Amino acid sequence: MDPAEPDQPHVPAPTIGPVGFAIGVVVILVGLIVNPVWISTIGVVIAVIFAFVWARESTSELRGRRAAVEPEVRPAEAEPAAAAEATASPDSAERFPRSKFLEASTLGLGAVIGGVVTVPVAGFAVLPAFLGQKRHEVDLGPVSEITEGQWYIATFMTDPAEGETSRRTAFIRNNGSVKSGSTQVPSFTIISNRCAHLGCPVQANGPTGAILGLKDVVEVTKNGKITMTPTVPAGFGCPCHGGQYDTEGNRTAGPPVRALDRYSFDIRNGRLTLLSTFSVSQVDGTGAQAQIHAYKLAGPGQHVDGLEQILYPLQPPHH
Amino acid sequence: MAARRPPSKSQARREQMSAAVNFPLDWLEERSGLVGGIKYFLFRKVPGDTNWMQTLGSATLTAFIVQAVTGVILAMYYKPTPEAAYSSIQNITDHVTMGWLVRGMHKWGASVFIILMFLHMGRVFLFGAYKYPRELNWIVGVLLLAMGMLEGFTGYLLPWDQTAYWASVVGINLNGTAPFLGPWLAQFLRGGQEIGAETLTRFYSLHMLVIPGAIAGLIVLHLYLIIRLGVTSPPWSAEAAGEEWEDEAPTELRAGLTRAGSGGAAS
Amino acid sequence: MSTTGKPRPIDERRAQFKRYKEDVKKRGKPFYPFAMFHDTVMSLVVVTVIVGLATLWKWTSFGPHHDGLNQGLLGPEYTAPADPGTTSFVPRPDWYFYFLFYLLRIFKWPNTVVLGTVIIPNILLVLLLALPFIDTRRERRLTRRPVAVVAAILTVVSMGVLTWKGATAKEALASEVILDVPSWIKANNLPPAAVPGAKLFAVSGCTACHTYSGSGSSNLGAPDLTSIGSQNLGITFQINHLKCPSCVNPGSPMPKFESLGEQRLRQLAIFLEASKGPK
Repeated sequence: MDPAEPDQPHVPAPTIGPVGFAIGVVVILVGLIVNPVWISTIGVVIAVIFAFVWARESTSELRGRRAAVEPEVRPAEAEPAAAAEATASPDSAERFPRSKFLEASTLGLGAVIGGVVTVPVAGFAVLPAFLGQKRHEVDLGPVSEITEGQWYIATFMTDPAEGETSRRTAFIRNNGSVKSGSTQVPSFTIISNRCAHLGCPVQANGPTGAILGLKDVVEVTKNGKITMTPTVPAGFGCPCHGGQYDTEGNRTAGPPVRALDRYSFDIRNGRLTLLSTFSVSQVDGTGAQAQIHAYKLAGPGQHVDGLEQILYPLQPPHH
Repeated sequence: MAARRPPSKSQARREQMSAAVNFPLDWLEERSGLVGGIKYFLFRKVPGDTNWMQTLGSATLTAFIVQAVTGVILAMYYKPTPEAAYSSIQNITDHVTMGWLVRGMHKWGASVFIILMFLHMGRVFLFGAYKYPRELNWIVGVLLLAMGMLEGFTGYLLPWDQTAYWASVVGINLNGTAPFLGPWLAQFLRGGQEIGAETLTRFYSLHMLVIPGAIAGLIVLHLYLIIRLGVTSPPWSAEAAGEEWEDEAPTELRAGLTRAGSGGAAS
Repeated sequence: MSTTGKPRPIDERRAQFKRYKEDVKKRGKPFYPFAMFHDTVMSLVVVTVIVGLATLWKWTSFGPHHDGLNQGLLGPEYTAPADPGTTSFVPRPDWYFYFLFYLLRIFKWPNTVVLGTVIIPNILLVLLLALPFIDTRRERRLTRRPVAVVAAILTVVSMGVLTWKGATAKEALASEVILDVPSWIKANNLPPAAVPGAKLFAVSGCTACHTYSGSGSSNLGAPDLTSIGSQNLGITFQINHLKCPSCVNPGSPMPKFESLGEQRLRQLAIFLEASKGPK
């Protein structure tokens, strides 16, 4: 408002009150034609709300509130007294006695939010690797197909639903039956082909398959296609770092820290079924008379006996 | 003020063009300050005798950018499941247009990146550029080296062929031999008891998101420290030794170290 | 400044650094275009090398090779799909891990495995991280940093040697060694009776410790067997030795090959006795 032009009519800038009220009235009128029940009602609501807003705006000066100013507009010069007052602000703590509470609650709530976001996500990332490990049983087919005294390299899928990633290999020999108590129980030597040093695939040291002139035994079971290749190993050797094992899986040379792992097995309806793997420190004796020093399954390179076993006190859960 | 000659036509055109270029830059600068920041980075002073060996750092950055760009494009065609990974790589190599080039650049770029990191580290070591006040930058650099090698290790599994699978088996079991926490760490990396689909997706996430994010953050910190702390002269630098200043007593000079102020107080 | 007023070394270094920065500001050259030009040229070289290697790889590789041979100059584009049940593959990491890989072959005693896998690499990493706190001297000239220069040379040489040895480490993989047999027969003029034994020798893991006619690796002091026949030890000796090496040769770490059976042991013995070396 320019005081030099008192005759200029005071035309304030358009505000939302009258415009909204006008729109509300229009909607009422349109509703009377189109749909009195709904649209007119909406129009009435709009008109009432904006009439209220308009009235409040018009009477704001009467009620003693300052005229609306644009944001971020500061007076060009503050009066010296006011400036002095502004600069001589009292201590923050006195002016804002609740700042300590605000600080604490900001940090506390922030920690809670951080926890609520991070803990489930971290749990999601970490826990599934350790929980719900599946138990795999492998049906290798009739025992009658596995010639006694002959070593076989058997490959099978532990979980056909998972496909080829679940393919594993074991060295199997049928030792015939052995006396246990008053009965004869079947005896098998079933050795895993993962080296006990760092998990490389161990090979049989000896003629295999075609060189022997013997054919593979092929079965199709619930674990898919099982192939058993005959072999005559003098022992087993690992190509990664030169680990060597004898025919019972005992380490004879190189860095492996224990014997090769073995599979426990069961004979169900005359069919050889592989169950869980376990770790072996040493095997005394051979074949059906072997004394296997068995331990809970440990990862490659982890000692299960001797002084170094204290380095691996706790194994993660698995079946 | 002396009267100026009226500007020639070419001069006037040049002035017009520079005004046209400067207008958007000034607009951006007033609202963000970015142009000023970039100008500071570009026109900051470095010692006049910087050596070719000191380009190894930015060469490493270029190699990383090549890896990032080719990696992003490869990620559009690669499928991170054991069933599809191998065939998707075959598809990229044999069928996708220029797929062989992008995949080849990514594979060889990895080796180039690692070689350049080692060369850069060696250069920094020989220049003594890890000494005060650049110790923190050296630590950031070693972390970058470790991250780079981890990036290579996780990426190696992705093609899911024999080399990839067995190298990762051994690598994970290596971690498993660490005392006490080893078996747990190995199981976490594997995503279970055996290497399988979970391992592949886990390694993919590490290779694509976690480690590149860490590398990018560390690179930003590394560059910030270089700009802030300044580039070193080579240790044999005559200029750094201030040899051409005749007004300095020779005993005041410490060749190869930070130079004494010209004409300033003796240290 | 310290309380006594005498400048501490750190204060002196701070002052020197400050003077250095001021001097660079006064007498240095702007990063763009001087240093940035060098950087750009080098980056161009890097990108050219990467593209060049990728192109060369494409031209020289011959598609997938499942037998590890005919690799082409830069290796095959992909090897066989992952087979977790394989018994004929030699795992290797990427080349920049070869020095760690060879460390594993050095620590071949079971009690020391964890040293090679975890402890030594971590010690090296910690030393690397702590370098600025180990070397706190101000000196940067190479001629006056003998420890640093010697350490750098030793590190580079040892890592180079370990990487090269890791790259050339050979393994006795039956499926690979069997392919050397024809060259053995030719080079050493082996009679037909020795051929079955030669094949057995190739697949029974003998070359894990013995060398023969250029194949295999020597390990644990196992002798080269190319000319073992010229010692005329006799078929019977060879068979008994194979059955139980430590019985015939006390202290021998060679494992027993008894389970191969009489017939195969005889074939091996014939092969060994016929191996009189190259013509």
